[in-house]
Amino acid sequence: MTQLSTQAAPQPGKVKKKRDYNAITPVWNVIFNIIIGLFSFSCVFPFLFVIIISLTDEQTLVQEGFSLFPSQFSIAAYDYIFRSGSELISSFGVTLLVTVLGTLLSLVLVTSYAYALSRRSFEFRGFFSFLAFFTMLFSGGMVPGYIVMTQFLHLQNTIWSLIFPLSMSAFFIIVMRTFFQTTVPDEIIESAKIDGAGEFLTFVKIVLPVSLPGIATIGLFSSLGYWNDWFNALLYYNNPQKTPPLQFMLMQIEKNMDFLTKNAQNIGSFDMAASLPTETVRMAMVVLATAPIVLAYPFFQRYFVQGLTVGSVKG
Amino acid sequence: MSTKRFTLMSFALMLLLSVVLAGCGGGKENAAPAKEEEAVQSDGTVDVSKLDPVKLKLYLIGPNQKDLPMVQEKINEYLTEKINVTLDINMIDWGDYSQRMQVITSSGENYDIAFSSSWAFDYLPNAAKGAFMPLNDLLDQYGEGIVEVLDPRFLEGTKVNGVNYGIPANKELAQQFVWRFNKEYVDKYNLDISNVTTLEDLEPLLKTIKDNETADIIPLAVPKSFKPYMPFDYQLGDEIPIGMYIDTEDFKFVNVLESPELKAALTTMREYYKAGYVREDIATLDGIDNFKTGKWLVDREITQPYADLGWSRNAGYEIVTRPMHDPVIYTSSAAGSMMVISSYSKNPERSMMFLNLLNTDAELRNMIQYGLEGTHYTKLDGPYIEDLPAMQENFAMPGFALGNMYLTYLHEGEPEDKWDAFEKFNSSAIVAPTFGFNFDTGPVKTEVAAITNVAKEFIPALYTGSVDPETYLPKAKQKFKDAGIDKVIAEAQKQFDEWKASNQ
Amino acid sequence: MSAFFKKVIRNRALLIMILPGTIWFLIFAYLPMFGTILAFKDFRISRDGFFASVFNSEWVWFKNFEYLFTTNDAFIITRNTILYNLALIILGLVIAVSFAVLLSELVNKRMAKIYQTGMFLPHFLSWVIISYFAFTFLSMDKGTVNQIITFFGGERISWYSEPKYWPFIILFVGIWKGVGYNSVIYLAAITGIDKSYYEAAVIDGASKWKQIRYITIPQLKPLMIILTILAIGGIFRSDFGLFYQLPKDSGALYPVTNVIDTFVYRGLINMGDVGMSTAAGLYQSMVGLVLILIANYIVRKIEKDHAIF
Repeated sequence: MTQLSTQAAPQPGKVKKKRDYNAITPVWNVIFNIIIGLFSFSCVFPFLFVIIISLTDEQTLVQEGFSLFPSQFSIAAYDYIFRSGSELISSFGVTLLVTVLGTLLSLVLVTSYAYALSRRSFEFRGFFSFLAFFTMLFSGGMVPGYIVMTQFLHLQNTIWSLIFPLSMSAFFIIVMRTFFQTTVPDEIIESAKIDGAGEFLTFVKIVLPVSLPGIATIGLFSSLGYWNDWFNALLYYNNPQKTPPLQFMLMQIEKNMDFLTKNAQNIGSFDMAASLPTETVRMAMVVLATAPIVLAYPFFQRYFVQGLTVGSVKG
Repeated sequence: MSTKRFTLMSFALMLLLSVVLAGCGGGKENAAPAKEEEAVQSDGTVDVSKLDPVKLKLYLIGPNQKDLPMVQEKINEYLTEKINVTLDINMIDWGDYSQRMQVITSSGENYDIAFSSSWAFDYLPNAAKGAFMPLNDLLDQYGEGIVEVLDPRFLEGTKVNGVNYGIPANKELAQQFVWRFNKEYVDKYNLDISNVTTLEDLEPLLKTIKDNETADIIPLAVPKSFKPYMPFDYQLGDEIPIGMYIDTEDFKFVNVLESPELKAALTTMREYYKAGYVREDIATLDGIDNFKTGKWLVDREITQPYADLGWSRNAGYEIVTRPMHDPVIYTSSAAGSMMVISSYSKNPERSMMFLNLLNTDAELRNMIQYGLEGTHYTKLDGPYIEDLPAMQENFAMPGFALGNMYLTYLHEGEPEDKWDAFEKFNSSAIVAPTFGFNFDTGPVKTEVAAITNVAKEFIPALYTGSVDPETYLPKAKQKFKDAGIDKVIAEAQKQFDEWKASNQ
Repeated sequence: MSAFFKKVIRNRALLIMILPGTIWFLIFAYLPMFGTILAFKDFRISRDGFFASVFNSEWVWFKNFEYLFTTNDAFIITRNTILYNLALIILGLVIAVSFAVLLSELVNKRMAKIYQTGMFLPHFLSWVIISYFAFTFLSMDKGTVNQIITFFGGERISWYSEPKYWPFIILFVGIWKGVGYNSVIYLAAITGIDKSYYEAAVIDGASKWKQIRYITIPQLKPLMIILTILAIGGIFRSDFGLFYQLPKDSGALYPVTNVIDTFVYRGLINMGDVGMSTAAGLYQSMVGLVLILIANYIVRKIEKDHAIF
């Protein structure tokens, strides 16, 4: 029995009945809910806190410090960002473009590489597995990477310098390979081949459709990687004419704060307070930089959570 | 496929690829002999017609400014006329500057001029590593103006093995710590600060505040970087306890932790900590915001002439100060803000001509800091200007990192003799015993890495009084010894003696 | 040789599929690896560019590595790094798998989705923000925990100078931040399990626990093994923010928070020595490689299919 054949005739009524029959008992359900619910709340809490700080009145924050129930709320931070915000919106655009293009490229590269590795009949498996895996451990460091990107490929200040460095990862490949191995039985592939389908066709028509949870996982991780990346922008995309990605702006503010506090005495004659956004504005930026990707999360999520029930079908 | 065979193959591959890469990167040609020599006339004026147009790439510290392209265009018009130069100014933000410049210089990327200092894109190690162009000949030939306007001690103090690699900005040359007081509380309790100099002198004042005010008013409002003033000339920053007595007679480096002065200061700090004069969590406080809230009596700061005025203006309430010691000129204070020419620069002559102009030409100097008249500021009488809103929003450049400060305009409220006062301040200062000596840590870098870690572990806790010096000072001493502080001191002494011998 | 070409031709379809990825690895991973040579050199800059600088720099061989071994801290940082990572690997595995299983068993799928989204949020917060947040809990005077303690008549604790609590705090926060991310992989793997196994189990009357024990866990095993092997390779590396930002770089906590990465960072921050930082990275990689080869060898002996190569 394979998923292919279950796909043939899903009968909603039957599925429903079976799920009820095989579900955990209500008591365990409550216990599970409490455990996960509490943990999940502890994860959401800091984020709520960040939102509250971003909505706190600046003066109140200075006087009272962080508080869950500040005496005075204010939307001044958001107001400030959106008023001086053409930069923010276009940097949001850069991040989005890089994330979408990058994730697509990375999915193509990773799945095809991983698929070849997952095939037992592939005689160079060991070599290419090691080739990929070795890169997880060893890297040349920042300077040689910089030289390759700027003096060899000449990609600095193009969005490719933000896309290429993250488009492959040995980790993704190995995870994806394992997914292929465990969810796609060799028999399906063999039978497809007997039907005359080539390797490529088998991959696209048969293997990919049944590997959606794995693909969604890698897609999610990859897009998170792109969304949160600031380091490549620091190295390669640092040009006054270019709008930097969102996370880079955010990270720059955090690093500046740190630097200016620690070097206050060296730059005493410079009015540094004026060059830094206030605490509330920074928190508002965290919210604005995180909210979109959190909202995009359900798109990937349906591949992990829906269809977890026994007998249900997705494709 | 066996792992061994693979490793071999991959190395062969890497080798091949790096050869290919080397081929791509190489092939630079030496520039033709400089035309600058002919263009600079005997009286110092420049004959522009003899100069080819040259574009200089600059890296400066600070956030990128929206109006920079606009101002840069005007600067370029001006410079083309003067020395046939155009600039390509690149700003790198505060927190990124050191890291990115490190990568840029190590990778061999071309640029001409960059900001360097003792605290960002560190001058000394990079000069020692060969990242900067030696400037002595260039200074003689194209930098006469610089030599003329700069206090000679700036250039003296920033020599590395007898060679100048950077052009310091004319500003305060000496360093002086002061106690800053919040005048509100000084007045409220009629505190007498006129006799306050040392840490111990503060005791009655701190006590008054502690006894009479609520707990959120911090008497001594300092963060973890606080260090009691010690009469030492530190070699690797004030965090690492290697120094020479300011009034030394034998010119020997000592371990500051073993000095009686430090012992006394730490004991006092411990008492203050126990009495609650400082924040309880001081050892983990990166910064302290009592200055913003006004809930403090005294803190510690480095001063410069008329600093009180600036501080009061920033704070929005009055601040008064008392010096802890006479101003001292250290090697590091001379290197507080400088411009260097990259050793990769193809146009070192023209770069120097530009730096010369930047340090002598008021119009250029003010344009790069304040932007354009009418757009970013309006000119008032005399040396005064008034900022327009566009300055704060679109062109807030860190003026102290852009060359000769003495040429810059003043803001309303600043005394007209501000820069004269700077000169007076500098000339009144005493010179530290190791001034001009730059310690090359290369031979002992293993030990320096180790003692830096020990310093971060012990110094903040000890110096802020958070731990008992009776038990922790011996512990710290032992740990520094184990990490090799004696070897570092010996190496510093050896280099210093050689330097001293060759400089007399 | 012709046998090799025959092999290539026989595998041409898969080789073509693997080609783009291989090119990427060569350019972006293997090409920059020549930089490793810097670990053995005293890097000085010369005027003719990077390669000239590398070739002209003096060989110092293992001098750049010395600071990792010769100090008294060497033992502490190595011990801390290994112990924390072992604990994080084991706890992380157990908790991520359990949460994935629990989530998959919840009756109300909508709640499962909400929980799961929540668990992912810490991944988005930078360490700076998390350390702020931890500080509001642990700060001496205004911290929530101390307020609770004093409310019940206890003595306030100076959290940032008491090393004994920090192993737990670090493990908790480390797991807390990573578990949402890691459980996604297992959740996806559970989704991918062939449903016919469960159907057969239900027909045989197997209880839920039996199904988890005999179907879900064995099906996840390959993934668990592989992710663990990979994690072992990183055992000498640490999440910098967890050990630096979270304890606010407090000196009193170094005995339990100093790991190789923080030691290197603090030691080199003033010198910026390229050779020494490369040396540290190479050391971490070499140890990782050896450990992975051993782990992989063992797995290979037991169950050939689950090995990485």
